[in-house]
Amino acid sequence: MKKLGTVLIGIFITLIIIISVVPFVWVFVSSFKSNFDIISGNAGFTQGLHPENYITAFKMAPFLIFFRNSLLISIIGTMLNLVTMSMAAYVIARFTLKFGNVVKLLFTSVLFIPGAALLYPLFTTMRLLNLYNSKTSLVLVYAGLGMATTFYIMLSYYRTIPKSLEEAAYIDGASFFRTYMQIILPLTKPCFATAGVLQFLLCWKEFQFALTLTTGNEVRTVPIALYYFTSQFASDYGAMFAATTIIAIPSIIFYVVLQKQVINGLTAGSVKE
Amino acid sequence: MKQNKTVQYLFLVPGLILFALIFGFSIILLVSTSLTDWTIGSDRVFVGLKNYINLMHETSFLSSLKNTIIWIVLQSTVHVAIGTSVALILMRKKFYWKFVRTVYMIPNIVSAAAVGMMFSIILNPEFGAVNNFLKIFLGHDFSQNWFMDKSTAFGSVTFTWLPYAATITILVLAEISAIDSSIYEAAKLDGVTGFQEVIYITLPLLKNIIGTCAILGGTSMLQKLDIIMMTTQGGPRDTTMNLPYYIYKTALTNNDFGMANASGVYLIILGSITVFAINKLFHIGKDKG
Repeated sequence: MKKLGTVLIGIFITLIIIISVVPFVWVFVSSFKSNFDIISGNAGFTQGLHPENYITAFKMAPFLIFFRNSLLISIIGTMLNLVTMSMAAYVIARFTLKFGNVVKLLFTSVLFIPGAALLYPLFTTMRLLNLYNSKTSLVLVYAGLGMATTFYIMLSYYRTIPKSLEEAAYIDGASFFRTYMQIILPLTKPCFATAGVLQFLLCWKEFQFALTLTTGNEVRTVPIALYYFTSQFASDYGAMFAATTIIAIPSIIFYVVLQKQVINGLTAGSVKE
Repeated sequence: MKQNKTVQYLFLVPGLILFALIFGFSIILLVSTSLTDWTIGSDRVFVGLKNYINLMHETSFLSSLKNTIIWIVLQSTVHVAIGTSVALILMRKKFYWKFVRTVYMIPNIVSAAAVGMMFSIILNPEFGAVNNFLKIFLGHDFSQNWFMDKSTAFGSVTFTWLPYAATITILVLAEISAIDSSIYEAAKLDGVTGFQEVIYITLPLLKNIIGTCAILGGTSMLQKLDIIMMTTQGGPRDTTMNLPYYIYKTALTNNDFGMANASGVYLIILGSITVFAINKLFHIGKDKG
């Protein structure tokens, strides 16, 4: 009985590893194949290695611009989200404000609104503000989309900081703003890292608003690069595999390096009161 | 001190502006325009609930609603069960646990557009890895068009997200590590074996987090646009159409903004029902002691 269990567990875990790794490895290996080898389904490289698939891919789609846009939008979108939410979460966690609970409720309600429902309204809003097809529109939308998660991560963190620290500062005559900047913020670095990694991933992976709020290559981000160039790549399969690899690799490296923060973020972000 | 109070209120302002801009204004716009006849080049005319009623007779909308519901149910049950099973296996911390935890996460961390592209290559009828493998295995030609054949499209799309439950695994693992180990020691003294331990001790203690995971899994299905756009585009014949894709198509291809926004309201209602129903089923937050 026990042996059977071990075997079943072994099979299950092997399947999990296979479905998670094999597709990526296959795409990666094929990205070095010639078109002929890909179409004939050859396992090996009968026509040798073709690293120039990557050069072709870079020539077909302006990936460097897309990466620059993604990086810029993700960094600013994350910063805007962290700054606004840390300020709000701090005063709500610490002080009794008249409309504190209303604000909390508003920020929580965001969790109940699927982004897809706002697809066209946000398109209209951004047009009205003259921000359609700009990086600013994506920065604002992404900072907003992640507000509830960041807010809750920050709220629960501020509650763990002992009040005596600030009280001492106030007795010394420090203003509220100075206390926040010099005493509180330095203490919240770990929580900024946790919430920041989650928010950064949200910005980096987002697809539907990147698709609807932009029209030109100069503002498009990485996730929609593949969508726009599928037809171009259709004639050159090697370049298509290379393009997929180009998009996937930075995320994988990011995760392997920051695994601890990602795991902390996911855990902290899901446990809402 | 009075000055400090003002500053405290001012601290709420940036967050509130962001909320108003992205959510507040959009929701007012969404609900108000959903009651109008609004297409490209025409003025908005108030029509009451006409859009909502018309949608109920739209076959495309109905199949996208049906598919979205099926995907929500699958993702809050099967998906969560897979993720939890992996966590229950990894919790024994055998030599492979960290490796599996890392590797399993990869498909979740890569942008879904790349995952969608990857699957459309792998399931390509002519040169895809799956058909090549089946050719060797079956010994004859095999050219199933997974994403474009009516009988396999829904299953193929479902496979791109259903088994990839690493987020669930991580959440459940975190909760397991918070369980007081003395409970297990007591159980051991009572002669409880490995399998019984999981069923009678670990799982009941995980009820809350599994409920949270069901909500996360279910609500994630209200957002799936990327993979569908990269693979089937809702086809063939709406078999893989979901609400986000329907909204996208109605607004930006058909330019029927009133209908698109009414579908948006339906999507929010569906999301709220999902969260409410799962909360009820799991009694999240209650009987913690």
